[in-house]
Amino acid sequence: MVEELLIKNGVVYDPINGVKGEKKDICIRDGKIVEEVKNPKVIDAEGRVVMPGGVDIHAHIAGGKVNSGRLFRPEDGRKGIEPKTKVCRAQSGYSVPNTFATGYRYARMGYTFVMEPAMPPIAARHTHEELIDTPILDNAALPLIDNNWMTMEYVKSGDIDLLAAYIAWMIKATKGYGVKIVNPGGTEAWAWAKNCELNDAVPYFDVTPAEIVKSLAEANERFEMPHSIHVHGNMLGHPGNYVVTMKTFDLVKGTKPYRDRPVLHGTHTQFHSYGGTTWGDFESQAKAIAEYINSNEHASIDIGSVILGDTTTMTADGPMEYSLYQITGRKWTNHDVELETGTGITPFLYSGKVSVHTIQWAIGQELALLIKDPWKVALTTDHPNAGPFIGYPILISMLMNKRRRDESAEEMHSAIFDRAELPSIDREYDFYEIAIITRAMAAKTLGLAEHGKGHLGVGADGDVAIYDITPEERDDAGKIQKAFLNAKYTIKGGEIVVKDGEVVAAPQGKTFFVTPECDEKLMDEMMAKLKDTFEHYYSVSFANYPVQDAYVPNPYEIRAPWRS
Amino acid sequence: MQQISLKLKEEVMKGVAKIPIVVDSLTPDKLFGKSESEIKAEKVWWGNRQENTGDLFEVEVDGEAGSASEVKIVLDGDLSRVKYIGAGMTAGEIEANGDVDMHCGAMMRGGKITVHGNADCWAGREMHGGELLIEGDAGANLCAMYRGEITGMTGGKVVVEGDAGECVGQYMAGGEILIKGNVDILAGLNMKGGRITIEGNAVMPGADMTGGEIIVKGKVEDMIPSFRFVEVSTLDGAQYRKYSGDLAMTEKQAKGLLYVRA
Repeated sequence: MVEELLIKNGVVYDPINGVKGEKKDICIRDGKIVEEVKNPKVIDAEGRVVMPGGVDIHAHIAGGKVNSGRLFRPEDGRKGIEPKTKVCRAQSGYSVPNTFATGYRYARMGYTFVMEPAMPPIAARHTHEELIDTPILDNAALPLIDNNWMTMEYVKSGDIDLLAAYIAWMIKATKGYGVKIVNPGGTEAWAWAKNCELNDAVPYFDVTPAEIVKSLAEANERFEMPHSIHVHGNMLGHPGNYVVTMKTFDLVKGTKPYRDRPVLHGTHTQFHSYGGTTWGDFESQAKAIAEYINSNEHASIDIGSVILGDTTTMTADGPMEYSLYQITGRKWTNHDVELETGTGITPFLYSGKVSVHTIQWAIGQELALLIKDPWKVALTTDHPNAGPFIGYPILISMLMNKRRRDESAEEMHSAIFDRAELPSIDREYDFYEIAIITRAMAAKTLGLAEHGKGHLGVGADGDVAIYDITPEERDDAGKIQKAFLNAKYTIKGGEIVVKDGEVVAAPQGKTFFVTPECDEKLMDEMMAKLKDTFEHYYSVSFANYPVQDAYVPNPYEIRAPWRS
Repeated sequence: MQQISLKLKEEVMKGVAKIPIVVDSLTPDKLFGKSESEIKAEKVWWGNRQENTGDLFEVEVDGEAGSASEVKIVLDGDLSRVKYIGAGMTAGEIEANGDVDMHCGAMMRGGKITVHGNADCWAGREMHGGELLIEGDAGANLCAMYRGEITGMTGGKVVVEGDAGECVGQYMAGGEILIKGNVDILAGLNMKGGRITIEGNAVMPGADMTGGEIIVKGKVEDMIPSFRFVEVSTLDGAQYRKYSGDLAMTEKQAKGLLYVRA
């Protein structure tokens, strides 16, 4: 490992520190950004674009359902096969790449952190095992907490403090990072072959999704949690769901965040911005969602933009996957995770010849372009649901180049011209805004900036991406796409991991996890009920449940004190 | 015409474990225009190692070719562990003297392959065009899709003079297959188009088919119950019971035809 590194002559975009395309030297010593170095190895960036390592706020890269996707899609495994090299292990897969390919491909795009956003708590070990096997990337995972029986019982009794004690225990037990919500109540209702809208009662538990979201937001803010609740709302993928989306965001408007950040992160909002009443009159309502985000400060989103082509959809939203399977008739699998959550998986092909897919394709980009403040938006594809992460460079080139968008629209279904906004939007992102939506916003929203991610200030992790493009070449969409697919250099913790688009080193990443610190009396009270639940309903014993330290070989703990 | 003779050296297959060789790099398309020494330097996978063709095969080149379609490759020696013969080829000819291993003619688009022996599983897999003649028996999944895919053979012609294994033409969407012997279970499984003719007997042909036709000149064992009898019809002077199906795929999608010798 190089102890000191100096990156000279780069044009630096570091939004968290307000650096907006300045020629600036970056010094790294022992893996961290420092003021100056004495005897460094020098990289001459020669006027190229330099950004902090990319931070992905939401991509399904590890765990049970990702692996089920790999197992039941051997035809996906055929794509992207690359034999092992001196540095890399063998790679396979496109929409569900193996863990090694995931790490290498992200690193080649200049990314150094990915959030796995859906960890079924009882299967947390599987998620961590795969994260261990995902090279280079720092990572974290969000446990699914909303369709959980304990959660719903506390929501029903209205005891937010005890709910807070429960989520504290759950996040600690799973070595998780925060609270993930997926179709609140709906996944549980699916066990009764039903689904839930925002104000429907969940069968047996008699609470509504709205109550679940609101209670979890309040419980989350009982601690100094780095991240807000991370919400995949109800009715994902249904025409007309944009109303539900805004109502969901409205639920937490009055909740006070512990610090300056949103209280709700609405994820893959493309899937939640649909107008119309059926697939026949399906249309974009990205404008309404964007206006909502523009006029409110309590919610952030990531776009979940579509990449055309074949992919594998996977979510804890079991009923949604079943609806999708009914549309395509392709293979489908479904899983109930005891008293915690569920899963569904089915392959999907997004085609530019199909009106609905074309409008979906437009919506993701519309959200990014219509929301004025890029600090409220992260670039994602909800990998692999709207498309694989390897499509990010395509999206970046679209957002930066109206002509490219127009040329694409011409080749797609004409519905894009009457039922979407995209062709009428002139805005083009610049490199600074791209740096926000691909790293700075995610690092800030996840509360990782103060832990060294997503920026290049002194003390930050030495994670740097140097792209083979200069600011003067910003109008060349093809070059942008190429540059963001294969970085000139990716530096991770001061070590060069990618050079000229090739992986040259594959160190192990860190796992960030949060330890919420709960009032002991509350914890004891909650524990009595929890142990009883384990005894009666769980297939594993209470003592065997928590993920032991061995599953996080490279830990980074963030403490979240109780707010008195 | 140019003939490239590749004789697998005896010592290569001498070991207790016969390590397979993958020869998708040795097609008329890829060898056209190459000298003998260049062919010898062409890489092939032998187990998990890449080797020079010349280290595994005795190579002889005879004559000149103006294009890949004028190249004929003749394979000799013990070919029972030689995989992917002619995979992806678009023109020219390959003759294999002996039994061949899996994936012979997989994804081929043109040209002709003749196997003077048996072919193991996946022969003609996902084939799009050209001709494949197997003089012996074919293994399972002849002309099928690969695992997980939803389209098998889409074009070309395949003749098997002996028997064929399970799942002949699974997810087949076009082209023709003629089996002169018997076939194992589930010929034409998930078939969407094209024609399979079986001169011998078949077991449960046509399950889940939504298009194309299967003609069985011998007997059908365990006829799928979800086929509907249409009429007795005459093909080439012989009488057949004509069925449509598979109704298990819903009435709307049951566009497949199955003819069974009356």
